[in-house]
Amino acid sequence: MALVSSPPVRRSALPSRVVVIALLGAAAALVLANQAYRNAEITLSGFLIGVVGSDGVAVVPDRQTVYFGLGSDTPLGLRMTPECTSAFLVLPLLVIGAVMIALRPRVTRRVLLALAAASVAVVVVNQLRVLSLVGLVEWLGTDDGYYWGHTLLGSMVSVFGGAAALVLFVRLATRR
Amino acid sequence: MSLDVLLGFTQALALTMSVAFLTYVLLIVVPYLRHRPAPVGTSTAFEWHFLVPCRDEEAVIGDTIAYLRMTFPLAHVWVVDDDSDDGTAAAVQAWLDGGDNHIHLVRRARPHARTGKGDALNDAYRTLKLWMGRHADPDRAIAVVVDADGRPAANCLEVCAADHLFGTPTVGAVQVDVRMLNTGVPQPDVTRWRKTFGAALVRMQDLEFRTAIAAIQMSRGVTGTISMGGNGQFTRLSALDSIAGPTAQPWRGSLLEDFELGVHLLTAGWRTGFSRDTHVHQEGLYSLRRFLAQRTRWGQGTMQCMRYLRHIWDSKHLSTLGAAEMLYYLAQPWMQLLGTLVYPIPLLLLAHRAAVNPTEVWTWFTEGAWILFTVYGAFGLLPFLIWGPVYRARCEPGVSVPRSIAYGFGYALYIYTFYITSWRALIRLLRGNNTWTKTRRNTEAHAR
Repeated sequence: MALVSSPPVRRSALPSRVVVIALLGAAAALVLANQAYRNAEITLSGFLIGVVGSDGVAVVPDRQTVYFGLGSDTPLGLRMTPECTSAFLVLPLLVIGAVMIALRPRVTRRVLLALAAASVAVVVVNQLRVLSLVGLVEWLGTDDGYYWGHTLLGSMVSVFGGAAALVLFVRLATRR
Repeated sequence: MSLDVLLGFTQALALTMSVAFLTYVLLIVVPYLRHRPAPVGTSTAFEWHFLVPCRDEEAVIGDTIAYLRMTFPLAHVWVVDDDSDDGTAAAVQAWLDGGDNHIHLVRRARPHARTGKGDALNDAYRTLKLWMGRHADPDRAIAVVVDADGRPAANCLEVCAADHLFGTPTVGAVQVDVRMLNTGVPQPDVTRWRKTFGAALVRMQDLEFRTAIAAIQMSRGVTGTISMGGNGQFTRLSALDSIAGPTAQPWRGSLLEDFELGVHLLTAGWRTGFSRDTHVHQEGLYSLRRFLAQRTRWGQGTMQCMRYLRHIWDSKHLSTLGAAEMLYYLAQPWMQLLGTLVYPIPLLLLAHRAAVNPTEVWTWFTEGAWILFTVYGAFGLLPFLIWGPVYRARCEPGVSVPRSIAYGFGYALYIYTFYITSWRALIRLLRGNNTWTKTRRNTEAHAR
């Protein structure tokens, strides 16, 4: 009996191409369906503010706004604007991930894992920003709390959180 | 896309790019500050060949040959005359007539000359191979590319022969630190303003090479992607042989032939090294016009090297981290182009709002937005500012603290010129203008 070697298995590049297209599609969706993303994001904020115990919380997703302190004398509404959303911080990660997978398909799993972890980190950081703002408003009052929370602390959280998410992404996506 | 979404998108993109850059700088500055000199090796374990490409270098080549022969008496000096219009060849011939058999002249003639530094180096490589003969040991021979005004430090051969550099057989090339010979030396015979400006420009070049570029190179030791520069470039002959191909051309045709060489070596499986324990001195440029021309050429060369992206990512010798680092480097001029488009958008939209409703914007600004501006301004400046004090701490301890901070601000301004040179490079690329425009020396006649 002759031993016949089987022809080399040719792996299809389709899965990685599909992933690349899906990631780029997701990036485009973050821009085109930005309002829907912010609706979801502010709903999550409302849930978390309620969990940490603010006195009366209501979410109006259509306005991308969460109201808190409704049982107090100083209720306040926070709107998730396009400038405050985490969508546009996730977007560059999606594009970079798509480029990496397109150039080296064998890292697809690793990059997707890194993308998931970094995206979660960015979303969590943005929720922490909202929670810290709510905490400061309740602690220092509406004017001072909003002033410091929205400007200095919020920016710091964004910068350091963004840096941590990027480091996490690079570390997870490029580890051997 | 609504204006709000555009504003949010561009702000977030600007923030991401700034944060990415700041994080990168903080990650590279720590190993740079922790660096300690490594033990040196025995230079006589190797055979050293200086390759000096020259195109109209009469003003400097004589002194360079004298320096190389006196400082490295065992090394050979190969001057490649790229069909100079001046007396470069005659200056070298005068040395040959003196009977020094360690000096060699490789003459090129038009139409095959003046086609790029890479071609000139390839001629030197082929001549060197012929001269060495078949039985020479290419693992022991090191080709050192030095500019016509280059001054390698006296210890450079010992440092490069160290166990962690050429003492390791898999290391194919080593790049050494670059310093400016004329730092602190004012340009003669010019107005006071030009003297001050020229001295500052040279200082910034010295600061850039000795701090930021050195730190980037050291971080590439981790990613395995140390790149080669045009001056102080040491390459093992066997490494050059392995990438030379049938036409014996280890250097290729891009305007950034040094980086290109590194790409070919790394993707062929060689390791590359970098050392701050020695250096090569070169002349810094006093003229902004010449500086911009030089950086435009470098930017265009980087853009040209984008063609290696697929090759880099396909290489089994480069890790994903290494390939990502090279992607980041190659993307720099493109990101600068993107930056010039993205960064102004939030400011333009703000200006529009201020024009439409000045009271509202003023209230917004005074009630806290100024803090945002301060924070983002600080994060935008810090990655450049930091190199001033780092330069003082590791390179020039005689510089005062306030002056080192001023150097940091100066460096930020200096880097902003890259936004100009990247656009110039793109325009040249689109026009198909890929000629080698040699940067003229400070001492050349008719200098402007």
